[in-house]
Amino acid sequence: MARMKFLCDSERCIECNACVTACKNENEVPWGINRRRVVTLNDGEKGERSISMACMHCEDAPCMAVCPVDCFYKTDDGVVLHSKDLCIGCGYCFYACPFGAPQYPQVGNFGSRGKMDKCTFCAGGPEADNTKEEYAKYGANRLAEGKLPLCAEMCSTKALLAGDGDVIAQIYKERVSRRGYGSGAWGWATAYKGSAA
Amino acid sequence: MLIKKSSTTGVAPQKSGKLSGILAGAALQTMDRRGFLKASGLAAGGLAAVSALTPAMVKQAKAMPSASGNIVKKKNICTHCSVGCTVTAEVENGVWVGQEPSWESPINLGTHCAKGASIRELTHGDRRLKYPMKLVDGKWTRISWDVAINEIGDKLLEIRQKSGPESAYWLGSAKFSNEGGYLFRKFAAFWGTNNIDHQARICHSTTVAGVANTWGYGAMTNSYNDIHNSKSMIIMGGNPAEAHPVSLQHVLRGKEQNKAPLIVIDPRFTRTAAHATEYVRIRPGTDIPTIYGLLWHIFENGWEDKEYIRQRVYGMDDIRAEVAKWNPEEVERVTGVPGAQMKRVAETFAKNRPGTLIWCMGVTQHTVGTANVRALSILQLALGNIGIEGGGANIFRGHCNVQGCTDLGLDVTTLPAYYGLVEGAWKHWARVWDVDYNYLLGRFQDKKFMETKGIPSTRWFDAVLVDKKDLEQPDNVKAMFFWGHGGNTVPRMPEMRTGMEKVELMVVVDPHPTTAAALPDRKNGTYLLPACTQLETRGSRTASNRSLQWGEQIVPPVFESKPDHWILYKLAKKLGFDQEMFKNIKIDAGDEPNVEDITREFNKGTVSIGYSGQSPERLKEHMAHQADFDIVSLRATKGPLKGEFYGLPWPCWGTPEMKHPGTHVLYNTNLPVKDGGGAFRARFGVERNGVSLLADGSYPKDSEIQDGHPEFTYGLLKKMGWDKELTDTERATIEKIGGNNPDAVGWAIDYSCGIIRVCMAHGVQAMGNAKARANAFGLPDPIPVHREPIYSSRRDLVAKYPAMADRRDYRLPHLGKSIQDKDVSKDFPIILTSGRLVEYEGGGEETRSNKWLAELQQDMFVEINPEDAARLGIKEGQNVWVYGPENNAKAKVKAMVTPRVGKGVAFMPFHFSGFWQGVDQRKNYPPGADPIVLGESVNGVTTYGYDPVTHMHENKATLCRIEAAGPSA
Amino acid sequence: MNLFNSRKVWAALALGLLLSVGSMTPATAQQATQADEAALLQQLKGAPVAGRVSIPDAKSGVLIQPQGREWRQTLEGPVKSVGGWLLVLTVVALAAFLAIRGRIKVEHGMSGRTIERFKGTERFAHWLTAICFIILGISGLNISFGKTLLLPLIGPEAFTAFSAFGKLSHNFLSFPFVLGVFLMAVLWIAHNIPNAVDMEWLRQGGGIMKKGAHPPAGKFNAGQKLLFWLVVLGSLALAISGYILMFPFYVTDIAGMQLAQLVHAIAGILMVAVILGHIYIGTIGMEGAFDAMGSGQVDTNWAKEHHSLWARDATTRGAGDD
Repeated sequence: MARMKFLCDSERCIECNACVTACKNENEVPWGINRRRVVTLNDGEKGERSISMACMHCEDAPCMAVCPVDCFYKTDDGVVLHSKDLCIGCGYCFYACPFGAPQYPQVGNFGSRGKMDKCTFCAGGPEADNTKEEYAKYGANRLAEGKLPLCAEMCSTKALLAGDGDVIAQIYKERVSRRGYGSGAWGWATAYKGSAA
Repeated sequence: MLIKKSSTTGVAPQKSGKLSGILAGAALQTMDRRGFLKASGLAAGGLAAVSALTPAMVKQAKAMPSASGNIVKKKNICTHCSVGCTVTAEVENGVWVGQEPSWESPINLGTHCAKGASIRELTHGDRRLKYPMKLVDGKWTRISWDVAINEIGDKLLEIRQKSGPESAYWLGSAKFSNEGGYLFRKFAAFWGTNNIDHQARICHSTTVAGVANTWGYGAMTNSYNDIHNSKSMIIMGGNPAEAHPVSLQHVLRGKEQNKAPLIVIDPRFTRTAAHATEYVRIRPGTDIPTIYGLLWHIFENGWEDKEYIRQRVYGMDDIRAEVAKWNPEEVERVTGVPGAQMKRVAETFAKNRPGTLIWCMGVTQHTVGTANVRALSILQLALGNIGIEGGGANIFRGHCNVQGCTDLGLDVTTLPAYYGLVEGAWKHWARVWDVDYNYLLGRFQDKKFMETKGIPSTRWFDAVLVDKKDLEQPDNVKAMFFWGHGGNTVPRMPEMRTGMEKVELMVVVDPHPTTAAALPDRKNGTYLLPACTQLETRGSRTASNRSLQWGEQIVPPVFESKPDHWILYKLAKKLGFDQEMFKNIKIDAGDEPNVEDITREFNKGTVSIGYSGQSPERLKEHMAHQADFDIVSLRATKGPLKGEFYGLPWPCWGTPEMKHPGTHVLYNTNLPVKDGGGAFRARFGVERNGVSLLADGSYPKDSEIQDGHPEFTYGLLKKMGWDKELTDTERATIEKIGGNNPDAVGWAIDYSCGIIRVCMAHGVQAMGNAKARANAFGLPDPIPVHREPIYSSRRDLVAKYPAMADRRDYRLPHLGKSIQDKDVSKDFPIILTSGRLVEYEGGGEETRSNKWLAELQQDMFVEINPEDAARLGIKEGQNVWVYGPENNAKAKVKAMVTPRVGKGVAFMPFHFSGFWQGVDQRKNYPPGADPIVLGESVNGVTTYGYDPVTHMHENKATLCRIEAAGPSA
Repeated sequence: MNLFNSRKVWAALALGLLLSVGSMTPATAQQATQADEAALLQQLKGAPVAGRVSIPDAKSGVLIQPQGREWRQTLEGPVKSVGGWLLVLTVVALAAFLAIRGRIKVEHGMSGRTIERFKGTERFAHWLTAICFIILGISGLNISFGKTLLLPLIGPEAFTAFSAFGKLSHNFLSFPFVLGVFLMAVLWIAHNIPNAVDMEWLRQGGGIMKKGAHPPAGKFNAGQKLLFWLVVLGSLALAISGYILMFPFYVTDIAGMQLAQLVHAIAGILMVAVILGHIYIGTIGMEGAFDAMGSGQVDTNWAKEHHSLWARDATTRGAGDD
């Protein structure tokens, strides 16, 4: 069974933000919710690297562990999803998430932050596949259409890879061995207990 | 664990069966990874085939389920930068509902940048200009198209009556399709002025002038894809990671696959520099010393390609003499680059050939822009890097169709296809347009103005403001058209604002109101006409690599917006020259000129640059068979187009029927002319001072003339005895063109393309086979020399490297030395440069109105080096005032304290407008059409300074002062 | 402030250490300018990896925050297990105490005469706090233990409805709760200053284990003083951490939020344990005690036995305190 993962090759990422707007476009994500973002380390200096980050759909997902209402679930493909019907917007998943993935529609007046929103690996949510209800709550369900997340599909330099973990790890490994530098897929050690190359 | 809810069944299984099925397939493939990778091309092609990655990993959906099931796929081209990414749209009931990766495009291979990935938003148009409007006593008032065209037309005729045709200025756009652009140029000709320009003036006009004067054509010599072949790369004065992100896919593949060194030369440590193997920080405005510093080591060590220079380059010895002055010490003193690094870079680039040289606005937007471009071109000539795969002067153009609109003559100096403005050029186009030359002449003030270059767009407001006696035309500019052109992209905005306030008629034709609508304090006489984007109409556009791509209409124009060609037709009709202008262009239903007819018309006339073979039919076929093209060679390897280059990159010689494949790499002697080969153009005569300007023993493969030769005329064809091979129709056409002297008919005005065809049959390039010019006699600086920026803080260098003396050109005074002589560096000690951000484009009105992009850059800012910031007491995120040395200019922006810029240098992005000297101007926009994000324009503080050849503005090296403006809001 | 989230200097420094720059040939430079995640994380010793983002959301500049793992482990581990068992043990201990010691009677029997122990304002403050605390406690415990105990019983939809309502109540009742605690603190602080009498009271263990032993006490005995201070300080901790949680990221970063959550959880559980004891002694644990907060009138015999000094003063003055 495929195990879906993301992999960002920081040797390729140029902080063009295509992943960010592709996500907004595909899922009609509102202003202020950033399911995906690009962080630049060492900005403006030698060794500067940008990394596109979203929910990594962890092996042992901390959000799932700490959710007080158990609103998370994992699909057969290893995608970590949640039910907005069950979420109470407490914010615990954000404290636990190593990657800052969970987003909330309100900044927090009296702690009412609204239903948590995050990257779904373009796999929708608990509603029936590709229904209006599913789209309205979670955005697109590309996996059900046989496609992969649009952020990775549109990545300008193919820095962001998405798909079966073994396959993308293999692609990455070959890329690294070919160019001879730049291993270390950011977030892999934390999310999947192992490095990609 | 939750289970999936289902609207159809009570308790659904864990996940829909469909997905498990698909993924099971994917998993199966992963079991035999080797087989999978092989099948997807990954094992063999490695990264080159990553385009195959995604579709191969998961089976493509059979059909996207939707409520109505009416999803139609449409292909168009991204309307932002010049890379030319295909956009695949999913349209449902006339609404653009989704965007899919364009896997088949050999240019973008499915990918996009932030702008391309959010382009769907443009047709939703929350902030678009929705209907024609005019300013009535300071209030925006909705009007109908008929009223707008009538009132504008009446006013134009009044101005024409009063001040003559030269008093209307037609500022067009690099966002036009080729058809719209060509029609716009033609429109100006029928109106009777050469005051017509577009964004090429402010992006690569100096490139076009520089390279055209060096080897013939003003265009990128190779392509983005060809960078896969490079063994080394220099990117100088360019930040493609932000300005052309998808191009970085090709650059990084070149870097990875060939282990090619990537050298970035820039005053600023850019996102591109982050991926460099070597970053060279130079002082802004020292490009020539930098290049000469490299050439010094190259000549010193004999690393140049001597045989190439002997065969194909004229005047390199003159360069040697100049380069000799630039020893490592002087180079370091002027540029700031350490000698050891210079030598390392020179050696790396010289010894890893073919090497490509990529440049952008950092090189072009200078008072020495043309000379800069020339210096860079000469470096490539010295190394024999021009005319070969993997080499080239890869000039990344700016807007989506700036190359096309340049080619089609939206320029004050030429008619379409660089024919210039001489009588012969007018007669050529009169024949193509099927109108009498004298009719056209009658439209102008007189013959002199018909053949005099117009006023460059960088200085249109000078033509409004200067005293009439200083202006070489009958009257000042009274009517100003901003047709797809932001008002914040050229310096001296305080003066431009006054100019905007002084014109009698101002017309903005654009999908957005733009800065021009909001900046000036006008009460009446401003019209806003909503043009649609190219996504809402059809037509061709030319990417930076000279490939033409046909876009189909994705959705009809939104709201009341209209395509450019419709508006031009309406206006021509009102002004009374529609009959002549649209003589051979069918008018379809709804008064819309037929787009394909327009293409065919310019095909007919653009013989000189080979825009003649790209018929609408051929272009549409290329879009339909995108998948057949190889992503490195851009050649179709299978299918009906086998052997052709993608998008028929010009020159695509002759008529469409001749089936020339297009030219992927210019001046490439390794291919026969008929297969896309060529040589440098014989454009500057055959000899100078007894030295031949023609190639020496170098010629395109299979050429029957195995040496240099001049341009072909009917007469030369006869001398060669090849004229018999012309068809009767071709001969008849030539003789008709030639009248009494048919022998003088050159290949470029033979619109039968017979001369080209016959030459090609003999393996010969009709435009001749010459040497490239290292010494470009005729230019103000035939040998590039360093000149300090006119606002230079290095007073110690000003005397030795002075600016050009004050002069006149383009109907206006052109100052240089007199400004440089005034030392303002005490009050304005920091060098100010500017550039792009990835999220925005150009003046930024369109992208700042796109909510998905605007969210990512919400504030205008200035980058300040940490040392300067500490000295000035400026903190990250704080508001600061940036003061400019002219017009008491100032701008209030946020400070970004960052080592991206060196000490003493500040950087500002140029996409912002809507704040003016600290004041929010949101209320000046028509309600609902204001961009989401507003900010101060960098050009509110930038200064005077123009290149002598093209009047390109100086936007990369001026001076400023920065002061804290209180805590951040 | 947006787009200018300050880059974490140490992250940069650490990354810088991993990169070798300087003059070398491009080929080696290429190999050397790599940042390796594992090495960087090691270098940072668990501190977050942070950089620059252009969006205004400052916290999004944190790329990886490994301390989320520690927070999760602390919360899901010791806090919930130790805390949970602590509460169970408290209940068991109180039950055992009741079984062994039985209800503490008024030794001299009810006199039938009463004196006023708490005025209306005092009782209002107490009950305001008490009612809020009960709801806060239940909703708080639900957040920690509900998914283990309640969710399986009532199912996800009902549990979410309950939890969402609980969270809402928790947030809004925090204000009257804080007000109540504040009132109690103002009203009673003067009576809760520890003094010599308390030492004796404590030495005798409050006389709680031995019949007939009634160490002297003022309005509040040392045990009550201890409770007072536990409540005041515990509530302060709960209020501060709670409001930080209620207004996330206004005053602190993610590490602060995690700390606030842990403080809140631990303080909450401890408070619940303490208050369980308080409820016990104020209701079934001691005869006559409830009246103090019930009607405000206590039997004089009860008063003499448990608050001899206060009872003396009160009868002398013929009124309550003050």
